[in-house]
Amino acid sequence: MNFLATSIESLGAKVVGWFTVGYGMFAFLVQASLLLLEPATWNRATFDVVVKQVYFTAVQILHVFLGYALVISWLIISIILSTARDFGLTEFASEMTIRVLVLELLPFLTALFVALRSGSAINTEVALMQVNNELDALAHCKVPPMQFEFLPRLVGGVVSVVTLAGLAGLLALLMGYLAIYGMNAAGFEPYTQTIAKIFDFKIVAGLVVKCALFGLAVTLIPVTAGLETPKKLFMVPVSVLRGMMRVFFAIVAIEVVSLALKYI
Amino acid sequence: MNKLHFKVGLFAVASLLLAGIFTVYLLHARGFFEKTFHLQLAAASADGVAPGVPVVFSGIEIGRVTTLGLNENGGIIIRTEFLGRNAKWLKENSTFTLDKPIVGGAKIRVDSPDLAAPALPDNATMLLLTSDVSKEIPALVERVKAILANVEHLTRKDGDLNTTLANVKTVTGRMTGEYGMLESILGSPEKARAVTESLEKTRALITKLDGLAAKADQWLFAEKGVAEQTRESLAQVRLILNDAQSSLKKADAMMANAVEISANVNEGTQDLAQLRAEIDDAVHKANDLVNEINKKWPFARNPEVKLP
Repeated sequence: MNFLATSIESLGAKVVGWFTVGYGMFAFLVQASLLLLEPATWNRATFDVVVKQVYFTAVQILHVFLGYALVISWLIISIILSTARDFGLTEFASEMTIRVLVLELLPFLTALFVALRSGSAINTEVALMQVNNELDALAHCKVPPMQFEFLPRLVGGVVSVVTLAGLAGLLALLMGYLAIYGMNAAGFEPYTQTIAKIFDFKIVAGLVVKCALFGLAVTLIPVTAGLETPKKLFMVPVSVLRGMMRVFFAIVAIEVVSLALKYI
Repeated sequence: MNKLHFKVGLFAVASLLLAGIFTVYLLHARGFFEKTFHLQLAAASADGVAPGVPVVFSGIEIGRVTTLGLNENGGIIIRTEFLGRNAKWLKENSTFTLDKPIVGGAKIRVDSPDLAAPALPDNATMLLLTSDVSKEIPALVERVKAILANVEHLTRKDGDLNTTLANVKTVTGRMTGEYGMLESILGSPEKARAVTESLEKTRALITKLDGLAAKADQWLFAEKGVAEQTRESLAQVRLILNDAQSSLKKADAMMANAVEISANVNEGTQDLAQLRAEIDDAVHKANDLVNEINKKWPFARNPEVKLP
């Protein structure tokens, strides 16, 4: 009996913990959104931090990221094309390529890329600031950390993921054309037809929203995880670990929901 | 100049430019800048047709079905939409066929045999033909069923085929026995053994006969054999007979003289006539004997003994 009670209690504690974390994130998001709507937020200083964030998240890694997207796209396109030829389904190859790469795989990989590179950095930085009482100090000096530290990171993350995923998608479209039709313009009409068939308004809007959610997940979750850190230095790695796990689950959840909405 | 800001600016401009170009391209691809061309297809049945079904020309999609509806007479009206640039493939003599392959979705196929023919006007109504593979399947299935029933009848548990196979199995089982094929034909190893035994006896007998025949051959037909001896003795018999014939001829001649000499002697004549009759009789007997022998041993052609 005692054992049962203990396990139920621990389960309850976990559920309460998840709700607390979820609520914390939601409250933070609402706070950030409300702040975004205030005209006073849009000053030069905030804008500078956004630019900096975009630079570190997207521009600095652009060449590496595009090279990586190129290799992945080329591989996947080759596999799909040869499989489609083997099964005599070449007519569906271009559509399949675009759907798999541009709509699903590349945004997902972009989110993972940004999460590993910038998300973990943000988490550590916020956790250290929290441990070292820097956030309180900033607030004390009339520099609200939400406006100058967190919100620019969220905006920068969203902008970065949407842009990187878009660029990778365009690259994959180009690669797909080259792989299917080669270096000539003969396939332009049918390829355009395929693209027109796939990218209707709903799909494009869904893609942009999905990328924006990915961007939000890879910045919002690390920030809230960092803010949760108890004021002890040795808790910083634990905070990063928790934050990154949550980011991973959030990315997978967004992908699954988007797939379900699209195909079910 | 702030290098960081420049780079981000460049990134932003390039991204926005690409996004803009892609948007324009997408709008162009989706026919935003073009007039759409409408066509209505009249069909007997809308089976398999739904909004979104592609209209293909030479395997390339040129339009789509937008809506389905019924007209006043209960016929099906399928409304399709084409981009302005694709309308040139639709001619007045084009045929529209609903293709429903077994694998893959339905599509409406456009065939335009003469591309020089006048183009279809907007909102024209054409007839939709149906080529449906799946409708032929039930008939096919019926025939296959009949064939399968026959096969089943043939292969049923007490069926001819099964009995035959069982027999074949018994026969081949016997074939693998000691007496092989013979056993399979006769039915049991005992009978087969009897046959082989009698065959063996026959073989021994034939060997013996062979030896016997060789001996007989030697005895009968070899040099100095029985046959040779018989022939020789017969030749001697003939010589003897020939001698007898010649002596008889002499006796005959002598007799004739005697008849002439004693012509006058009447009494004696009667006795002589009797003698003559007796000799004639003897000659006849000898002749018969010669004929008899000649019949059996054909060595001479004219064996007759003639009396004058």
